[in-house]
Amino acid sequence: MSPAGFDGRLAWPLAAFLTVLFVAPLVLLVGLSLQGGFGNYAKFLGDPFSVSVLGDTMRLGGEVTVACLVFGFPYAWLHQRAPGWGRAVLTLLVLLPLLTSVVVRTFAWIVVLGRQGIVNSALQGMGVIDGPLRLLYSEAGLVAALTQVQMPLMVLPIIAALGRTGPDLPDAAGMLGAGAWRVFRTITLPLALPGIVAGCLLTFTASVTAFITQSLVGGGQMLFMPAYVLQQALALGNMPFASAISVIFLVAVLVVVAALSAVGRRVRAYG
Amino acid sequence: MITSRRQLMGTALTLGAMHAFPGMSWAQARPLVFATFTGSWETAHKAVLVPAFRQANGNAAVVLDPMLSVDQIAKVTAARAAPPIDVMLHDPGPGLLAVAAGLVEPYPVERSAHYKDLIPVAQEASGPGAFFQVVGLTYNPETVKTPPTSWADLWDPKYKGRVGITNLASTLGTGFLVELARMNGGGEGNVEPGFAALQKLKPNLSAVAANPGALAALYQQGQVDIGPGNYNAIQILKAQGVPVEFAVPKEGAIAFRTTMHITKNSPNAELAFKLIEAALSPEVQTALMAAPYLVTPTNTKVKIAGELAKLIPDTESMKTRFVFEDWVKINEQRAGWIDRFNREMRG
Repeated sequence: MSPAGFDGRLAWPLAAFLTVLFVAPLVLLVGLSLQGGFGNYAKFLGDPFSVSVLGDTMRLGGEVTVACLVFGFPYAWLHQRAPGWGRAVLTLLVLLPLLTSVVVRTFAWIVVLGRQGIVNSALQGMGVIDGPLRLLYSEAGLVAALTQVQMPLMVLPIIAALGRTGPDLPDAAGMLGAGAWRVFRTITLPLALPGIVAGCLLTFTASVTAFITQSLVGGGQMLFMPAYVLQQALALGNMPFASAISVIFLVAVLVVVAALSAVGRRVRAYG
Repeated sequence: MITSRRQLMGTALTLGAMHAFPGMSWAQARPLVFATFTGSWETAHKAVLVPAFRQANGNAAVVLDPMLSVDQIAKVTAARAAPPIDVMLHDPGPGLLAVAAGLVEPYPVERSAHYKDLIPVAQEASGPGAFFQVVGLTYNPETVKTPPTSWADLWDPKYKGRVGITNLASTLGTGFLVELARMNGGGEGNVEPGFAALQKLKPNLSAVAANPGALAALYQQGQVDIGPGNYNAIQILKAQGVPVEFAVPKEGAIAFRTTMHITKNSPNAELAFKLIEAALSPEVQTALMAAPYLVTPTNTKVKIAGELAKLIPDTESMKTRFVFEDWVKINEQRAGWIDRFNREMRG
């Protein structure tokens, strides 16, 4: 039974908006990619280089997601445990990056990671290294930059999930004799899982498609799917192949999204 | 003269629009739209070209809509019958693509007052070259004490991890590859030696930037000390106080023309012609040659002076100091080269 006051017609404006501006272009895109049959798909899937670009992109997304989770979860937990003013400060800190443009944040990383950047100067000053390390234009540097840029997308859903349950359940379990690890494994983590799944979804999709950061911090020697599409479409004018790459990329991301959503559903079923 | 139904329709619509909005303009259905490039190009064109054009054409309305060549092509392709741009500006590669796609109206050469005065390389009937872009050696004089004299200097072991280049998506990157091939016995027809030279450059590479703008920023960060660079981009960095210098390699600086095209089906074709005429005129080219723009002219009537004289003393010396590449040949093979660069330079 629908909740009181539920009226499907309320969704029509948004549905119309999405149909015109999202579904229609997507249909055109798929149509364009099928010019000349499945040749463009065969070309991509039969080419080890193209497939490795897809693999690299998905691996990058995975690495950034894991890094965001490793740093983001303790942050969210700290947020829940902090006193009122501490929470305000922590919320501000995590929102701060969202208030600056991604281009500005990315350029800041160029300054941090460069040959004469903060990291290299500090390490050289302390005598840890002799010459500058190559941090910029390396995958490690790119993962670091993307992790910072996408962090709010991981932290905010986890904060929301932890906030819904509150600190009472873990405290009660502790009082009843459960050790810290057991409380975390059986109470905190399962309750936070919907937030973690949502955070992973957002972080993953945002980092595999983060064209600006990928090209500015990754440089011209690393190739990921968004830049590959752009190159084929604009520099080479090969729209059908570019469309096919886009569709393959979309499907690959959707598979990951579907898998994560399935995990999320199972978690909710347990709850 | 109305020669086709499409033109007739266009004229009818224009007349209709003029009738509907009499206050807008008595001559133009909409302002003349000139898609210049972003950044210093827009600044220079706004300051010099637009005022000169308006003065000569009864204050006709002009709108600058700066965007990259590829975006211009995409926009015009999407609305061929009623293009949103009247004058396109293109590097050689995209220029050829635009002509091949039928987006360009041939330039009325016989009516042009300046076409015959252009340097032969700039005389292009699909759209004349109004400016040259010049690519030479860029270096940081604080870390590179002896100014480089040849492209070959980039392979010097003392520059290990300090050289910056771009990938082949840019005219700069592609032009550089062809020049490497030429130095090593190849050329537009055979870039094999160029790719071999790039392989040997790898130990010296500090960065392969995604585009020339990103490359320029790396000099600012000290990430890169030497590499190929665009003359005008370097002048802008220099004006900001970044320690960079430009040197013409003894093999010659790579020069390519930037062409201006009347868009096919433009409702303002006549004004578009007038704008391009203004850009070709010795007066505008002389003004654009002065600091801070330092744009290399294509009109032989321009007497080269000032800062630019350090690059080329006169238009005659362009023949020896500049290398002009065959972009028709380059464009035929560029897709394959980009693909190969993707694979070989990945790392």
